[in-house]
Order: sequence, then structure tokens, then C-alpha cells
Amino acid sequence: MKLVWKLLRQHISIPQFAGFFFANLVGVVIILLGVQFYNDYQSLDSEDSFMKADYLIVNKKIGAMSTITGKSSSFTKADIEELQDESFVEKIGAFTPSSFNVRARFDVDGFANFSTEMFFESVPDEFVDVASDEWEYKEGSTEIPIILPKNYLDLYNFGYAQGKGLPKLSTGILGAMKLKVSINGNGNSGEYDGKIVGFSSRLNTILVPESFMQWANGEYASSDAAQEPTRLILEVNNPTDEKITSYLQGHNYETDEDKLDASKTNFVLRIIVSIVMVIGLVISILSFYILMLSVFLLVQKNSSKLENLLLIGYSPSKVSFPYQALTVGLNVLVLLLAIVILLVVRSIYIGLFEQMFPDFQSASILPSLCVGFILLIVVSVFNIIAVRNKVMSIWKRKD
Amino acid sequence: MEKIQLINTLPNVFQTRTDISSDIWNQKVEFEKDKLYLVEANSGTGKSSLCSFIYGYRSDYQGQILFDGEETRNYSVAQWTEIRKKHFALLWQELRMFPELTAMENVQIKNKLTGYQKKKQILEWFEMLGIADKVDAKMGRMSFGQQQRVALIRALCQPFDFIFVDEPISHLDDTNSEIMGRILTTEAKRQGAGIIATSIGKHIELNYDKVFKL
Repeated sequence: MKLVWKLLRQHISIPQFAGFFFANLVGVVIILLGVQFYNDYQSLDSEDSFMKADYLIVNKKIGAMSTITGKSSSFTKADIEELQDESFVEKIGAFTPSSFNVRARFDVDGFANFSTEMFFESVPDEFVDVASDEWEYKEGSTEIPIILPKNYLDLYNFGYAQGKGLPKLSTGILGAMKLKVSINGNGNSGEYDGKIVGFSSRLNTILVPESFMQWANGEYASSDAAQEPTRLILEVNNPTDEKITSYLQGHNYETDEDKLDASKTNFVLRIIVSIVMVIGLVISILSFYILMLSVFLLVQKNSSKLENLLLIGYSPSKVSFPYQALTVGLNVLVLLLAIVILLVVRSIYIGLFEQMFPDFQSASILPSLCVGFILLIVVSVFNIIAVRNKVMSIWKRKD
Repeated sequence: MEKIQLINTLPNVFQTRTDISSDIWNQKVEFEKDKLYLVEANSGTGKSSLCSFIYGYRSDYQGQILFDGEETRNYSVAQWTEIRKKHFALLWQELRMFPELTAMENVQIKNKLTGYQKKKQILEWFEMLGIADKVDAKMGRMSFGQQQRVALIRALCQPFDFIFVDEPISHLDDTNSEIMGRILTTEAKRQGAGIIATSIGKHIELNYDKVFKL
């Protein structure tokens, strides 16, 4: 095989192969970076993993008139039933507010002490995507699972801690700490430990399990305090449905707009990443074309040698092998180098992400590696078949 | 492989000709293993075509070519490769050597494929043919006569049932032709193989069992 290689490497053009190498490298790096960046960005955006995806929170608009007239901003049974009958609604749930006094104390060991009046709300458990053993209250237990708004943490991290020179806290650290909760009402009082199971950037409320809320409202609320819900949570089949907007406007309801904004940002990002990846793909395809041209040229220049090898008993696969190995080897080299570049570039932007978002957890690089390997295999298979066909065309040249 | 049969074989280019009187074209011909044949030909009578047809290099002929009674026209690539490696040796008239490689490398590129001859034997042949000093010389720098001798050595570096030598001595003197004939017959006898030699005038002196006029 060494002699065959010595023979067949004649006429190999280094500039042509170097041209392919760098062009393909640029293409593959762009593709892999696109995939990786998109995944990392997604993991930045997925803080609400414990809330189901396509839901909307709806409330009645509060205008100056309703404050003055005291017109109720809560949903009546009829309102809910009407909404339930709409085709875009999959599931509907009411927010149940607490009808008792809540006071929470929060000790950040040694350096800060918060104490505040607050309130609880609950939604049906099916809207909350937390492992059911975590999102559960057993009567008699002193531990209450709680989901806090992400805003609270941001207020602390970027406002309070920044100003007072206190350390920033991640959701992970906070989750390990306990919130001391005192509840009183209806002549009863109790002390509880709040366990933070998550932060939501979409829900502007302090959420507890419905089982706790029902029990606590029975225990601490005055019996006549049963309230109508002021907010509803809807699971819809398609949040961009026009019918939703017109229905909400027609009934003077409001919904959270930032969900729409977030999906817009995501949409634009996805388009940009797709464009960048298509550019990378085009560069890769063009470089693949260069490679094929130079291999064909090489085969053409060495065709008499290839023919003679076939005539002294070398099989077409043996004769094809050196060129196949050459192209596949180049492809592997490109992929390895592209992965190294990917890791370097990624470590730079990950550093930036981590500075901006203390909670940032990078996504796995497995998807981009998979994309790289799939590209490698597809391109290599094409190379192998093309070289083989070229050699077979020499074999078949029976004048 | 025991025998090669040609049944009404005719190159396509001769199809329109009516004046063909040949011992091979359009006849029933049989080559047997262990025998020596000479095919004498004038230029343009299809001598090289004959080699190419039997070697599976070309198929622009009509009629049939059979190996042990088996039609070869539809042989697969793998079958032809096998035949060229183990059953047929061919010394091309145009030699088909690699000018970029040395004489020894040209021989070894074949011998490495078949693993058939010992290096000692190869060197001995170089010696016998008077080109021992050219072992490491670039093929491209050697005269055609010298290349012809290297080509013979390469052809012998494989097991074969038949060996074709297409004008093997066109550029050799009588002494070297005689040595070449000896090496060829010794090796063929050792393998129990048949020899088919062609010539357009001067032919290699062997004890031919049959002479065909092409």
C-alpha cells in the first residue's frame, strides 16, 4: 500500500487541499457555533421549566372608574364558564388568593434580614410542572413548598445587594435556604418553613400548592371570606391565535404581554441563527465542491497509473482507498479543529453570560458535536462514493 | 483454470470485413494449460485486442470467450480482479510500468499484492537478465529493452494458469531473448501453466505446441 500511495500522491496539489481545508473549517465552525450558541441561549431562557409552556394569565382591566365605583375586578362563575366554552381554551384554572395574614422572615446568614407582609396564591397543580412529591403539602407538616417571582431575586441582586455590597445570590443557593412564615387569622396562628422550589419570571405572585391553600383558608380565614378569583390561568392550544386577542379585548380582559415579547425575541434569534447556519452550510457545500474538483482533477491526472494498477490485479476498492482516506482524513481533521475552535470561542462567550446571569447553566455541547459528526459522515460518504465512481469509470473504459 | 476457448470471436471493428482468413478470429480455438502457443500476426490484425479481450480489459467483440466453459462477458469486477491476481499473467506490449518508481518498486507493487515471489528470486532474475545494476534505477530512465525485462519479472510475480507475453522480445538481443525464454518456460513449467506468446516477426524461441496465424 505504501508503494501505491507513493504512486498516487503524484500531482496532489497542496494549495487546492489547503483551500478546501480552510473553507470547510470556516463553514463547519459557523455551523457548530450556531447550534451551540442557540442551545446555550435557550438554556438561559428556560428558567420557567416548572411552568407549562403555552399558558396565559388573564385578569380584568383595572381602570380609574372601577377603583372609584368599586366595581369588582374578579371573575364570576358565568365569566369562567363562558371562557371555558371558547375553542382556543384547553384548560382553565383559577388563582385562589389567601384570606389570612402572612408574614415572612428571611435570614441570609449574618448579613441581611428581611421581614415582610405578604400573601399567597395557588393554581391547580396540573398547571405547575414540579415533581409531585416536591409540590405537595401534607396536613400537619410545617413545610410549605413555594415558587417565588424571579423579579424578587433580581430586586435583591441588582438593587439591594449591589447598593449594599452584599454577595449576589443564585436561585440554587436561595433554594437551599428556608423562609420563616408566620400565618394568623380567624383567631388561629402558626409557624411554618417555606421551601423555595423554584423562581418564575412569568408569574407575578407567590405560589403555594393548592392543597395547602385549601387547608389554610379553612383554618385561618373567616368563614365568609370565600372569594371569587381575580386572575385565571389558561392553557391554550396556540398562543398566537387571533381569536384570543379579540376575545380578551372584547371582554376588557388583560394578559401578560412579556410572554409574547419573549417569544418574539426567540423567533428573531432563531431566524438569525438559521441564516448564519445556512451561510455556514453554503460555505461547507462550496468547499466540498472544491474538494471534489481537486480529487477529480487528481484522478484525471493519475488516470493512467490507476488504470495500470487495475490491470495488474489491484481491485477498484484498493485503488480508491488512498484518495478516500485522504478526503476522509481531511474531513476528520477539519471537524477536530472546528471542535477545538468551538470550545475556545464558547469559553469566551460563556464567561460573558456568567457575568451577566449568575444563574446561567451552560447547555450540553453534545448536540453540536452530533451535528458535526452527522456532517462528517454525510460528507465522507459522498466523498467515498464519488472517488469510487471515478475509479470505476476508469475500469469501464473499454474502448 | 484449465482451458480458454474462443468461439467465433471477432473484434467489432472487423465486423464489416469479408476477407478475414485467420486461425483465431471467427474460429473455434482452444488454449490448454501446460502447453505453449505462438500467435503470429501482421500489424493491424488485432493482436493486442486479443490480449485485451481475454484479460477482461475490453469487451468490444462478438462471439464468445469461455474460461473452463464459462462465458466471461458478464464477469464481475471482483471476478476479473481475482483472475488478474491468481490465474492470468500478462506482459503488455506497451509494458504499462510506472516511470515514477524504481525497477524494484515496479516489481514489488505487484508482488506485495500477491505475496507470491521471494525477494531473493526477484533479484536472481534481475541478475540473470543483466539488469542487476538497475534494481534501484527509476523506470523512466531505463531503455525500453531494459523495461521489457523488468516487465517480465513483474509478470512472473503471481500465480498463473496462463501467461500472455505480447511481443516480449521486440527490443531484446538474441542472448537476452534466450534467457527470457528460459526463465519464462521454467516458471511456467513449475506452475504447470500455459504460455501464449505473440509476435509480428521475430518471436521468442520456445518449443511451441501450436502456432496460430492471426
